Order: sequence, then structure tokens, then C-alpha cells
Amino acid sequence: MLLRTQRLIARQVWTTAFKNRAVFGLLIGIGLLLTYAAATGWVNVRQQNEIGRIYQQQARQDWLGNPDKHPHRMAHYGHFAFRPKAPLSVFDFGMESFLGNTIFLEAHKQNSVNFSEAGFSTGLLRFGEISMAMVLQLLLPLLLFFLGFGTVATDRETGTLKLILSQGVDWGQLLVGKSLGLMAVMLTLYGPVMVVTGLLWFGLQEGTVSADQRMRLGLLMGAYFLYLSFFCVIAVLVSARSKTAKTALVSLIGLWLMLTLVLPRTSQALGSYLYPAPSKAKFLADIQADVLKEGDSHNPNDPHYKRLKDSLLTAYGVDSVQKLPVNYSGLVMAEGEKISAQLYNVHFGRLLAIYDQQNRFSKAMAFMNPYLAIRNLSMALSGTDFAGYVDFQQQAERYRYEMAQKMNDLQIHFISNKKPGAAEKPHQIDKKHWEEVPDFSYQSPGIGRVFAHETISLLAFAFWMGLLGMVGWRLTKTLTAI
Amino acid sequence: MIRLAFIQFMRAGRYAGAGTRIGLIFLLTVGIISLFVGKQFSQRQQQAVADVIEFQQTDFPRQAAIHRDDMGLLLYYLKFSVVNQTRPLTALAIGQRDVNPSVQSVTIRALEGQQYDADLTNPANLLLGNVDFSFVLVYLFPLLIVAFTYSIISEEKENGTWSIVAVQSRNLLGFVGQLFLIRLAVLLAVLLVIIGLAVPTLGTPLDGSLGLFLATSVGYVLFWFSVCFWVASLQRRSSTNAILLLGIWLGLLIVLPAGVNNYITARYPVPEAQATTQAQRKGVHEKWDTDKTATIKKFYAHYPQFRQVPVVAMPFDWRWYYAMQQLGDDESAEQAHELKQKLQQRETASRSIAQFIPTLHTQLQLGELARSGLGNQLRFMDYTGRFHEKMRLYFYPRIFTNAPVSAEPWTNFKVDTFADTAPSSPVAVLGPLLLFIALFTGLGWNRFRRTIYHL
Amino acid sequence: MLQAINLTKRYGPGQLPSLDALNLSIQPGEIFCLLGQNGAGKTTTINLFLGFLQPTSGQAIINGLNVAEHPQETKKFLAYLPETVMLYPNLTGTENLDFFAQLAGFRHTPDELHTLLSRAGLQTEAHGKRVGTYSKGMRQKVGIAIALAKQAKALLLDEPTSGLDPKASNEFSAILTGLAQTGTAILMATHDIFRAREVGTRIGIMRAGHLVESLSASDLTANELEAIYLQTV
Repeated sequence: MLLRTQRLIARQVWTTAFKNRAVFGLLIGIGLLLTYAAATGWVNVRQQNEIGRIYQQQARQDWLGNPDKHPHRMAHYGHFAFRPKAPLSVFDFGMESFLGNTIFLEAHKQNSVNFSEAGFSTGLLRFGEISMAMVLQLLLPLLLFFLGFGTVATDRETGTLKLILSQGVDWGQLLVGKSLGLMAVMLTLYGPVMVVTGLLWFGLQEGTVSADQRMRLGLLMGAYFLYLSFFCVIAVLVSARSKTAKTALVSLIGLWLMLTLVLPRTSQALGSYLYPAPSKAKFLADIQADVLKEGDSHNPNDPHYKRLKDSLLTAYGVDSVQKLPVNYSGLVMAEGEKISAQLYNVHFGRLLAIYDQQNRFSKAMAFMNPYLAIRNLSMALSGTDFAGYVDFQQQAERYRYEMAQKMNDLQIHFISNKKPGAAEKPHQIDKKHWEEVPDFSYQSPGIGRVFAHETISLLAFAFWMGLLGMVGWRLTKTLTAI
Repeated sequence: MIRLAFIQFMRAGRYAGAGTRIGLIFLLTVGIISLFVGKQFSQRQQQAVADVIEFQQTDFPRQAAIHRDDMGLLLYYLKFSVVNQTRPLTALAIGQRDVNPSVQSVTIRALEGQQYDADLTNPANLLLGNVDFSFVLVYLFPLLIVAFTYSIISEEKENGTWSIVAVQSRNLLGFVGQLFLIRLAVLLAVLLVIIGLAVPTLGTPLDGSLGLFLATSVGYVLFWFSVCFWVASLQRRSSTNAILLLGIWLGLLIVLPAGVNNYITARYPVPEAQATTQAQRKGVHEKWDTDKTATIKKFYAHYPQFRQVPVVAMPFDWRWYYAMQQLGDDESAEQAHELKQKLQQRETASRSIAQFIPTLHTQLQLGELARSGLGNQLRFMDYTGRFHEKMRLYFYPRIFTNAPVSAEPWTNFKVDTFADTAPSSPVAVLGPLLLFIALFTGLGWNRFRRTIYHL
Repeated sequence: MLQAINLTKRYGPGQLPSLDALNLSIQPGEIFCLLGQNGAGKTTTINLFLGFLQPTSGQAIINGLNVAEHPQETKKFLAYLPETVMLYPNLTGTENLDFFAQLAGFRHTPDELHTLLSRAGLQTEAHGKRVGTYSKGMRQKVGIAIALAKQAKALLLDEPTSGLDPKASNEFSAILTGLAQTGTAILMATHDIFRAREVGTRIGIMRAGHLVESLSASDLTANELEAIYLQTV
């Protein structure tokens, strides 16, 4: 029979674990926590998406409900974009709470995405949130360490190890067997979590499951299985290296704290210490300065717009803007919008590059710390990472730009250059035009983006598999029973 | 004997590879790093303030020159900034200051659309959190306390020395107390060194706030010692103690706070945020299509004093425009009020719950003392509202009469600063901590008295 | 079956050897008893035969195979009984025996397991109880059963009778003699001079890592042996 000895040892680990009442208590505690996480995740995603959907519809109705008016008034009336939550955010909240949900889209101005949960938090949020992902990433490894610290070290301390080895078991079989036993215990929590996640994930998509989402879920399950298996193996290896069970426990607790608490914070702090990002005032002032260098559309004497005027007058063969067949100020605004949007995108790109630099340390740390590898990968697969958020911002900005330019276009073609007199009706166009602007709908990026952004995390997984395999193999040559 | 116990403690753990000295050096190093993080934080805050001052100083005269004939249009563009003052103490407990902007820039147009503008932040930084002093105190100090004390009696039992100690000692409980006191003294010394270093590096003034901050920190350390003392009194094995104490740490620092946070978020949801902005937008923009005089009339109902200001000719009817803006605020006032109330409820609820969870209590109180909590943010928002109102009242008459732009001393408009002076009561801050310290020390003492000689 | 050739173990460089050039040969059917004070090198010898220690020089050979080179293969011929048998406290005596026997590659029916435990002297009503409730002697008997179950060609015993009551000790001697008659080679470290004289075919006395005496048990009375022992150590 395949791996007979290993399975025998694994069964012994399993039996020992479940004959311990404290372990049952811990499993039940974690189970309750997971239930709580699943429930709050489900309620939260449904609630937020419902709020977003209602306000998105409301905003669209408000937009369409406008009477005949000047298109530029509509450009300022603007629209709202609400960031929907991805189905898998029920599993991993990721950065959700620190990201804004709502952006007001209007002409001339790139507004910030507002109303993040963090902004309305009392500071409790900074202690973390309970999501299913958090339990699997943070608490389950600790539980595995608690269950695994004695697997080999206790046997060594009591002398049972000598007995086992004298029965003809080799170290390779012993380590594999103990790891498999721990993994079996791990599966009792991992399995149900993944089933529940799958159900909630299915429920949130209301029947239409895309291939992309299926791949995300599949990868997520694979990644967590590997991640938790790493901790089973680490627990057994550390236990095998320790003289006493107490030493093994203290080492494992220290390791857990390093991996989950100290390293992530310090590596991120180091990144933001070394690559300072500009203040908001500076960021906006720099954009304004660059825009002014190109030309100030609000300044009637600006040379850039003077040239635009002259070229128009020549092209249409007229001597004043009032005689142009197209609306002059519409053209000026279209030009201004083009310049400012372009410059904004340049500056925004630079800002993102700085953030990327800041995050580089904690990303590279994935090779030293599987916790960071799973954390980044899980957020990316769940669609709750920064890359997804930036994607939303960029889609919203594209929509904003197109909306503003559409209104400028309407003004250019349908609004006269003559100012209406005091008694005349103000310039306006028919409200049917409002429908020509499509509603904003966010298209979530495909899984290909995840591979592009999280190459490091994926490589780190391969690296850890190799590393643990190698360390385990080396230990089978050097370990002793005493 | 104390000297020997001290030497024994400092030499401990060599075989475990994580000895006392390594632990202390680690704590001290991270503590000093946290001061650098704090220093950089306050420098960035100062830079942000300098940036906004510079911007205001160059932008105001520039705009004034371009729109020299049109006061109304000029005020459409001008952004007045208010700074939420950063104290040196803020650098020790950054709290929510990295999420919420410390500078608010507002035009005199409708306030509600501007007040919640998010700061530029890297969410990865926010998610992983700061390595500031409060992190070192709240998360790392307990770990070291646990590491130093979890096996105080159990290890002696496991090594077989306890029976000899118990027979030899004339005051066994006193001896155990001494072992705890030695560790307490060492860790308090580290705490004092870090805060002592903060005074020159961050320029923290030696005032009452610092005193209360220090007292809270000491109280928190004592709280964890009392918990460890109680766990030691249960007389379990070292491994059991370690798991138990780590479980308590996990519960108090990860599970309970996150649970309370989830509860408060779900209990007080804030859909009013979106509602306020949409109501404000509708409130402003619909007025373009409604009766002008009705708008003006509503405006006069809010500000009767401007009824007397005579109507003058100007490039655009700014009285109407700013009336529209005013009505945007007025018509979203209900939602805005509800939103503020919800936030206030969140603050009150988390503070009352925190009284029963010392870790939360300490974190929130340090934030409050450092002016970096939600309370400070709400007061800053109120202040920004008042500041905005002040600016409106100052400029409305000038706009409505289209006063000459050049007559205003534009360079005299300085960036305003909000200094949070909300008082802190030492009893409310320290009371809950003292109660918990007394509770656990009492429980431990009582149990020890009955069972200290049991093997 | 068991052979030591110039077997030497030094725990650290510069330290005196704990075992110095031991030469020893135990044939099938022989029971070799090692006597000596604490620290004389008895346990070191056994650990070297078990492959838990690497010899500094020399060889420990089991069934013609060098233990240091074939740690795995040599285990097939070995059974081992430590001074204190520690088992899994959460499993019953039968379950422990089953587990360890399966590790060695033997599957037994419940009846066979009970027979083995009874042969080792464990009272029937204890078979189904958790080992956590056992006394040291009862654990020792499960250990004997484990050794029996393996049907090994060589048996290594490290002070196996310490903690056994006189009756159990006597039964144990009978088991050993029985095993030797079926051709098992036995190496036993012990402090019990009387027991050594009784079951041993040969008796070795160790001092400071040296085997200083090797005697035939049948030539001696217990008192003579004690006298020699006291002179030697």
C-alpha cells in the first residue's frame, strides 16, 4: 500500500489531536469565528452593493431627469460612480475598508474617491477585521503550530521517538507522516471554509458564473491549501529540530509573530519611509502649475488659447469668434479638458509609481514570509487589492472625460456664440441628449491582470515549496533521536 | 537575593535562542524605529502645511489678478485651507491621522461636497498599519511581558527546582512577587527610555498631556503584568501558560477589537454619506431650472442680514449662484446631521465598549491624548464648518456688491489652524485600567495564597 | 549477530571517549549483559547499535551490516526496549501496540494483540485502558509486547527491569530466555547483578568506556559476580 507507514503516523497525529478536549474547544472557537466572518462578509457585500446599486440608479435617474438646459450645466451636474464589491470580497475583505466607494464625476475636476470605511472609523478598524481569509491566513497557522509543536519534540522528550525509529521507520517517513497528519486536521477547517466560500460566492453572482470567476476561486483554493500546508510542514520541521516540546512551542510562536505581525508592518513602514509620497496640496499644486504652463483656459489672454482662436478664425475664414459656425467656448473647454486630463493622468501615474515603490518591500518579502505572499495573492484574486481599485479609478476617470467631452461637443454644435440678452431665453438644448451619455458600469478586470501584478507572490509559492522540501530532505540526513 | 534573581533572569533562555537580552534589544530597537517613523510623520505633516501655505500665497494673488473685476468668480476658485494641528505627541500615536486629511481646503461654495474629500494615501500603508509608539506599546510590550513571565513558576517545577525553592523560602509568595517585580522594572525602564528619547527627538513638551500619556502607558504595562500574574497563579505547565497567554493576547488584540469593529460598522452603517452628497448636488443644481426669486427668498430666510444689501450690476448674478450653493447645504443638512450623529454614536459606542477591553481602551485613549482619533476628526470637521461659515459671511457682502478685488489684502489670508483643546479626564483614562489591574492581581493573589504550595 | 569492532564514541573533540575501542560479538541465542556504573558507556553502546549516535571510529555491525552505513536496513533485525517506555497517553495499550507493530510492518488481529500483551505480562483488564493511566511497569510491559511483536533477530535492552515488580521481573527473565532459545541475540544493559547472572550467557563489566571484563555466566555464582563487579568498577 502506498505510503503505508506515513499514513499510519498521520492517523496517530489525527487521533492524538482529536482526543484532546482543548483542541475541540479551539476548533469550535475558530469555527464560530469563521461563521461570524462569513455572515458579516455576506451581509456587508450585499448591503454595500445594494446601497451602491440604489444610488447608482438614483444618480442615473437624476441625470436623465434634468430638463432642457445648457450642456455645460450638465457637465457640472455630473454623475456618480459607485465601486461595486467583487463576489470573492465576501471571503477576503482585503483593502476594501481603506478604499473609497464613491466618486463624483464632473467637468474640469478629478475628484477623490470618498467615503472609505476607514475614514468613518473610530480607529478600531486598525486592529484588523475578521474575514474568512483573515482566519485562514492568521489564526489557522497559529492553531497548526499549537497542534504541531509537539509532533516530534514530545516524542523525543519522552523517548517514544527512539522506539519509533527502532521499529525501522526512517526520518523521511516520519516527517512526511507527521506533516500529513497535521494537514488532515487542517483540512477539517479548510474544507468547510472553502465550501461556504463557494456557496456565498455562487450566491452573490446570482446564477451567472463567469469562467474568470471560476478560475479565481480555483486558484484561491489552491493557494490557501498550499499556504496552510506550508505551516504544517514548518511546524513539524521545527518540532523535529527542537530538543524539547517547550522549545519548539516558543520557537514557533516567535516565528508566527515575526511572520504575521513584525515583518509585514516593518517592511511596509520601510517602504513608505524611503519613498515619501507628495502631500495632496503639493500633488494638486503641481498639476495646476503644469496645466498653467500649457495654457490657462480661464484666462482670456492666454497665448495657447490665442493661437487656438487664430487658427479657428483662419480655418473658417471669419474675423471674430461670434461668427464661427461652432461654439467657441465649447472648443476652448474641450481643449482645456484634454490638457488637464492628460496632465492629471501623468501625475497620477507618477503617484502610483511611488506607491508601487513603497509596496515593493512587502511584496519582495513574500520570499521570506509566506504570509505576505498569500495576503497579496488572495487580495488580488478576490478583487480587493489596490490594483483593482486603481482600475476603478481609471475607468471612472475615462468615463468622466468622455462625459465632459460629450457635453463640450454638444455645446460646440448646438449652442450659439452670441450671448442671449437679458430678456431672452438662456441657451439650452433638448433633454433627449442626456441619454446619449451611457450610464457608468464598472467592468472588473480579468484574471490575467492578477498574474501580471502578483508574479512575485506566485513565484514565492513555488520558492517555498522548494525550500521546505529541501530543508526537510536535508534534515532527514542530519536529525538524531536524542 | 534580588541580585541573583536578576542575574538569573538576564541570563535566561540561552538555549531557546530567544533569550531575555535579545528580547529587550528587539523591543528597544523597534521602539526607537517607532520614534523615527513618528518623526517622519510629523515632518510630512509640516511639509503638507508648508505646501498648502505656499500654494495659498502664490495662488491667491494670481487668481486675484486674473479675476480682478469679478469678485464672485474669484471666490468660486479660491480655496481656503484649515490645518488640524499636529502635536509632537501625535507622532507617538498616529492613529487615524494617516487616513484622514490634516489639511482641509474649502471654497465658500457648498460645504457638504467638499468636507469628506479623501486624502491621498497608499492603502497598503493603511492596511498594514504604522510602526508608531502606540503599536510598540499596545502589541509588542505585552508579547515581551508574556515571554518573560509565562514560565516563572512552571519552569522551576519542570526543572525540579521548585520543591527546593518552596522548602527553602521563608516567604514564597513574596519570592514570586519579586520575580515579577524584577521583570516589571526592566520593562518599565525600556518604556521610560523610549519615551525619554521621544522628548528630544520629537520635541514633546513636558506637560500634563505627556504625563497622562505616560501614565496610560505604564497602566497598560501593569495590566498585562497582572494578567500574567493571574495565569501564573493557575499553576499550569509552561506550554499551557504560553498557549493561554498567547490566546489572551490574540483575543484582546486581534479577535475582540475586530469583532467590535465589525459590530459597530454593522450597527451604525452610514449610507447618509452618499445620501448627503447626492442631496447636496441635487439641492444646488436643480436651482438652475427653478424660479430664481424663490431661491433668493429661501436664502434671505437663512441670512436676513443680506436682504438689505443693494443689488448691483455684475458679470453674473452671483447672489443667485451662492444662494443656490447655500441651499445645497441647507437641503442636505438633515442627512449631514444624521451622518455626524452616526459618527458620534460610533465614537461613543466604541469608547463605552472599550472600557471593558483594556487594549482597545488604551489605543483609543492614546489616540485621544495625541489628538489622532475620530473625536479629534469630528471636532476638526466642526471647526472647518465654522471656518467655512466665517469665510462666507465675510465674502457674501463683498460679492453681492461686487467690491473691487484689489481692495482686499489677499496675502493677509493665512492658513487657519485648528488647535484641539478638548479636555481629558485622568479618571476616565486611567480608571478602567486600574480596575482591571486590581481585578487580576487580586485574583492571582487570592489563588496563590491558597495553592502556592500545591505541586 | 551483534558485533562491535573497535567501536569508539567521543561526544566532543578533546573530551575523553565515552566508549573506547569496544570489541564485542554476540551470537544468535546469546544473552550478553552489560554491567557498569552510571556513565560507564552502556547506553552509548546501545545507542550506537541503534544508529542514534554516529561512532567516532570503529563499527557497530548487525547481521553483517554496518549500522552507520545502513541505519535503515539494520532496524529490520532489531527490537529495542528503553529504560522508561513512553507511549501515546491518549491511546490504549492495544492501540499503542498495534501502532508500533504496524510501523515495523506487522499487522495483527485483535486476538494476536491481546495474546502479545498477555505474554508480556499485562493484565487483561488494562489492555483497553488509555496508557496515560498506566504505571511505569505497565508501560514497560507494553514495550516488551512491542519488542515481541517484531520477532527481531537482535534485542537491545536498556535497563529494562527497572521499575518492574519482582514477579514481573521474573516473568521478564523467562521471556528473555525463551527468546534466546529461539535464536535471538540479546544485549542488555543492567544494574541488576542477580538478574544478569540468572539470564545472561555472558556478562561484560564496563568502566569509563572500556569493557574490562567479559565472563561466562555459568561459571559464576551471584556472589562471586558481585565481588568481581565491586573490584572492577
